[in-house]
Amino acid sequence: MKRKMLFIALCAFTAAPSVRGKVDLVTLPSRERVQITIYNSADLTLVREARPLTLKEGNNSLQFSWENTLIDPTSLEMLPKAHADAIHIAELTYPPRVRNLGLWNITSEVAEKVPVEITYLTSGLTWRAFYMGTLTSDEKHMRLQGYVRVTNNSGEDYENAQTRLIVGKVHLLDEIAALARRQYPYGSPVPVPRSVSGPVVMEKMAEVTWSRRAGVELAAAGEMADKKEIIKEGLSEYFLYTIEGTETIPTGWSKRLPSFDTDEIPVINLYKYDENRFGTVVVRYLSFKNDEEHELGETPIPGGNLKVYRNLDPQQHLSYIGQSSFKYIPVDEDVELNLGAVSDVVVEPKLMDAKTENYRFDRRNNISGWDDVQTWTMEVRNTRDIPVKIEIYRTFGTSYWKITNKGVFGEFSKEDLFSVKYTILLPPFSKQAFEYTVRFYQGTRQEDWKP
Amino acid sequence: MNGKKSIFVVTVLALLAVPALARIKLVALPERAATVIRLDNPNATLIEEERVLTLQKGLNKVDFSWKAVSIDEDSIRLTVLDHPDQVNLLNVSYPPNEAALVWEISSSGDYAETVRISYLLRNIDRLVTYKAVADKEETKLDLRSYLILRNFSGEDFDKARVLLDYGEAFEQGIDHEETKQLLFLKAPEVPVTKVWTWDVRRVPRQHWDPSKVEGENVGIPVSYRIVNNKESKLGEFALWGGKARLFQDDGHDSTIFLGEDNTAMVPVGEKTELYIGDSRDIVVTQKQMRDQQINLRKNNEGKIVLYDTDEILTAKIENFKDKPAVLTMIQQIPGQWDMEDCNMEYKRKDAYTLEFEISLPARTADGPASKELTMHYHRRNVR
Repeated sequence: MKRKMLFIALCAFTAAPSVRGKVDLVTLPSRERVQITIYNSADLTLVREARPLTLKEGNNSLQFSWENTLIDPTSLEMLPKAHADAIHIAELTYPPRVRNLGLWNITSEVAEKVPVEITYLTSGLTWRAFYMGTLTSDEKHMRLQGYVRVTNNSGEDYENAQTRLIVGKVHLLDEIAALARRQYPYGSPVPVPRSVSGPVVMEKMAEVTWSRRAGVELAAAGEMADKKEIIKEGLSEYFLYTIEGTETIPTGWSKRLPSFDTDEIPVINLYKYDENRFGTVVVRYLSFKNDEEHELGETPIPGGNLKVYRNLDPQQHLSYIGQSSFKYIPVDEDVELNLGAVSDVVVEPKLMDAKTENYRFDRRNNISGWDDVQTWTMEVRNTRDIPVKIEIYRTFGTSYWKITNKGVFGEFSKEDLFSVKYTILLPPFSKQAFEYTVRFYQGTRQEDWKP
Repeated sequence: MNGKKSIFVVTVLALLAVPALARIKLVALPERAATVIRLDNPNATLIEEERVLTLQKGLNKVDFSWKAVSIDEDSIRLTVLDHPDQVNLLNVSYPPNEAALVWEISSSGDYAETVRISYLLRNIDRLVTYKAVADKEETKLDLRSYLILRNFSGEDFDKARVLLDYGEAFEQGIDHEETKQLLFLKAPEVPVTKVWTWDVRRVPRQHWDPSKVEGENVGIPVSYRIVNNKESKLGEFALWGGKARLFQDDGHDSTIFLGEDNTAMVPVGEKTELYIGDSRDIVVTQKQMRDQQINLRKNNEGKIVLYDTDEILTAKIENFKDKPAVLTMIQQIPGQWDMEDCNMEYKRKDAYTLEFEISLPARTADGPASKELTMHYHRRNVR
């Protein structure tokens, strides 16, 4: 007792090309193939169906209805895949006082079975990426497993559909769901819409949807275990993931599919201390690069949530470390996964000396300028049993500063107008300290500042 | 039940000298002959309909009334077609509390006179939409444009000639509450230029360093540029504004949806840019590396009254794509300024706006293609 939500009826043209004189039904062609291309940056799916149509010579009228779905009626398009020059699709009519129905008027110079392709945009199908990371016990390598989860809430069962996923940020003017809910496909120039005989139809819809859901579960149960490959390729600014074979995702269901599984990605245990961004805590990052050296780099990695575990022993017992959500990562881009604040790596800044000097006075002998000189020691401790990399950011409230560093401060760089960065590598169970003195030029002393 | 009639024309014989309150209507109910729907003005739709009036010698009153439609009363015109010299429209009167008017027509004989009645009818209009499929290389578009007729006027048009601002009229019937989509332009090979733009005016300062933006990528807007001219196999008429949906051939006998944008009206010879989506494979990291006050001028109090600045701005541009790209970068320097040193060429778009065209090669095995812009400039005479 399967119900089709999308109906196509081929109708013989009677005298007038009008909808009101109800049309005769000739054939009800079924869907031969269906392809769905699901976006993740917006609630948007491109559906492409192949159906065979038996056309007569002359005028043909084709009725397409999509009750209970979330199809954008303005996106409907039909293309003949054979005899393209002999088949003219003159117009698509959305008849009055009927919802979710379109009528194509087709003039054909041939009388035969013609394959056509019907495309439209729908909402209600979504997908997202998520990841599992498993660190080796020395935390030098990580196994990264990527998954995609496709969810169908479109109201339409897509059976044996070729499923494709798009990674990328697409520009949309209107939400497809809003277009699907419109009373009139292209809206109406009348500011306040006229009332339609809606409520009765709504009731029927709800009932039908419910009965379908019950019938669908059996069909889906056997499909969940399939393991398929995902073919990835770049197109324009997007990445297209094509799932091998076909999928059946009944409405209301989601499906998890493995996207990739990479063992042994070398990772850097990176810690950051940046009071400006995180306050006075050390934040742990896992860092690697989306490139070949790291067993990756074939395609960008779509953003998603990552749960990180650590392998504890040969029996593969796991310890959960934390989770992070990351952004889209282009090929060759560095990845830094924020795993949250930690206390086993410590950065301790201490103000050791503060003084003022080089006073300037104006004509009335008021103070017009001076220097603030601060000396800080930075103690960095690694209490872990693995080597770590630590980035320490120091941000100043002014751009008129001079700094001198002393001790073992690793790699030093000026980040921008207001901040500097120290990068330090620390062996397991070790500590290190360095000192910096920063001079802030205040008031008229800024005139003496040289870059 | 062939729809409802909302507009009536009734010829009334001028029998009574004084028009009574209960007006007599009815002599003949002339059928509508040729009807024209003119959609050349985007703001209003003009209906022209021809009717044959049975006129008698002497004074005739013709009643034109409507219900459940919205007609601009002042726009109603009557044109006599057969005997313009023998038939005279004397005056038009509007009966109280009625959606109607009465024409007083003087005729020198008994005529079956064809007249044209024209008026502006509300809530019937047209939209234009575009659908374009780019080839895989994104160099040309298969462009189609559709005319969307929407009739919510309250009136059914069984058969009408529809006129746009160019091209042939075509016959089309459209009922009340009906919407029709008609293909009216096919341009199979329209050259297209893909444009990436980083515009400082649209990038908030906290997005200058994308690595410090949590949770989202800072995308670079990507547009397709189309020129409405002969080289594009267009250029015959202005392209109306409307929603454009762009697709791309995926090389597997299918397409993907690239994005959509509204285009404004594109006159002949002009270009339009359709913003389709954001690239996340080009990354711009902009930093201000110096901002110092120099050449200080002070008043007698020692207060600075005038100064120049010494500023350095850097922008690192990385292309992670496996294809080359040309990034248009827009920078702004407010006020009076001069450039001391800039390592890339720029065009001065206006007093405060600089435009850079930055060619980025594709990424290589060594990593992303990277370029760095350094602008060293001074803002002058800042008060």
